Amino acid sequence: MHLASLELRDFRRYVHADLELGPGVTVLEGANGAGKTTILEAAAWVALGRSFRGVPDATLVRDGAETAVVRAAVRSGSDGVGRHQTLDAELRRAGRNRVLVNGHALARARDRLDLLRVTIFTPDDLALVKGGPAGRREYLDDLLGFLAARYDAARADYEKVLRHRNALLKGGLRGADAQHTLEVFDEQLARAGAELVRGRLRLVGRLEAHLGAAYAALAGRPAEVAGRYEADWAPDGIDPDDAEAVLRDALVALHRREVERGVTLAGPHRDEWRILLDGMDARTHASQGEQRCLALALRLGGHAVGRETIGAAPVLLLDDVFSELDPTRADALAAALPAGQTLITTATTIPTAVRPERHLRVEAGRVLAGAA
Amino acid sequence: MASVYEGPIQALIDELGRLPGVGPKSAQRIAFHLLKIPPEDVARLATTIVEAKRQVTWCRRCFNFATGDLCTYCLDERRDRTVCCVVEEARDIVAVERTHEFHGSYHVLQGAIAPIEGVGPEQLRIKELLARIGDEGITEVILATNPNIEGEATAMYLARLCKPLEIRVTRLASGLPVGGDLEYADEITLGRALEGRRDL
Ligand SMILES: [Zn+2]
Repeated sequence: MHLASLELRDFRRYVHADLELGPGVTVLEGANGAGKTTILEAAAWVALGRSFRGVPDATLVRDGAETAVVRAAVRSGSDGVGRHQTLDAELRRAGRNRVLVNGHALARARDRLDLLRVTIFTPDDLALVKGGPAGRREYLDDLLGFLAARYDAARADYEKVLRHRNALLKGGLRGADAQHTLEVFDEQLARAGAELVRGRLRLVGRLEAHLGAAYAALAGRPAEVAGRYEADWAPDGIDPDDAEAVLRDALVALHRREVERGVTLAGPHRDEWRILLDGMDARTHASQGEQRCLALALRLGGHAVGRETIGAAPVLLLDDVFSELDPTRADALAAALPAGQTLITTATTIPTAVRPERHLRVEAGRVLAGAA
Repeated sequence: MASVYEGPIQALIDELGRLPGVGPKSAQRIAFHLLKIPPEDVARLATTIVEAKRQVTWCRRCFNFATGDLCTYCLDERRDRTVCCVVEEARDIVAVERTHEFHGSYHVLQGAIAPIEGVGPEQLRIKELLARIGDEGITEVILATNPNIEGEATAMYLARLCKPLEIRVTRLASGLPVGGDLEYADEITLGRALEGRRDL
């Protein structure tokens, strides 16, 4: 799948921009603050229905405008020659957003994923490696939801059950009714949690090979990259068939402490997926350069798993990826870019190995066609 | 939204805006409509609301809507009193009735367990259900709460309570909508239906 063109209207600082795109690499070049990332944000919004920067949609509508529109012409299909389809996203300052496919409203939000999927890398992704476990859990769960609708549902179920259970614990659990209700939510948390954990474990298994390959290509040396899924509630490791019963028992054993703390103390919302580089915890032992490579490898690995699952490469959006890499690794990335469509933003010159198909200049909220 | 209209107009908009599913824009539209139509139409609407509120109460037995002591289902002598279908809201009875497959009695919980909203079992008509099981000789309880987190939690809670009573407790099967093509079933439903598949 690829974006044949992208049009922005009243999206952040853009009054109007029209970009001709196509397969291969497109470089968006411009000074910091010129609006390069906004182009990626608009493309990603169409696929995700939200900003990848995590900001509220209303802030994406240009000051003085009521509605922002992003129109993407996409070609779906593994060979990228499928029929032309149009995705229109309308973001309203007040009221509901909507997405139209070929002029018709989408019945289900997920249906847009049949037309357009994206993989995004931003410099903030360093936190995936360097930061706490929450970011890595989110990475896994986002990718799971991207691969199968049932994991979006499992995640939403889990989060809902967790909120109910925490509300119950915070209430102090007075009386037999509350005690029985807690037992019901133990069961539900264990059921939804086990489903989510089984998905994560399967994904982690599939990711590992891709991660190692991506990292080795970027680092220019063979390296052993492994992930270790750790859960306090299953200290001896998780047997997927048994996860539900083990998690439920762990919750029951924690009741007294949970009531004291007013919060759920075991479950996938507290698990860790530790990334090991040559056997050492990458969060604490890898150098900054290695961590950057690993963060990028996580995105490229997820990209590869996505391509494997859906049979077509998602559109790869790389925000400011070269500024943070040393020249050797930048060249390695250029050589390792997967086939398909890639949009790269940069404030500096890009490695000669990139060989872009298109070169666009971005200046103060305007897109100019540049010399290739 | 700040008050923009004169006293009585704004008061009307505010009242309408308190109704479920009515946002500020709809409230404004309905208010303007009411102000435009003949006074007798408005009076009829007002009387209908007041009268409905005055006449309709909860059925003493099952907590469905009723205009007397008991609702139509509880008054119907032909219905099987040994089977009781437990639903969250009175409107769910209508959905079950439409199937023409069920001829037992009902019990309306008037909600579902939802700690986030501060709703626990004690806020629901659960004690009343247990009393009915003892008094009316109910031998089977069908838990027809919604197939979402709150409905499932409520069903599990009730199933636990009913266990020592030695009655049959069943749960509506959730799965594929009948009559629809597999192709149009959403992936989540299909995924769960696959997981819960049975031997034939
Ligand atoms: Zn009744």
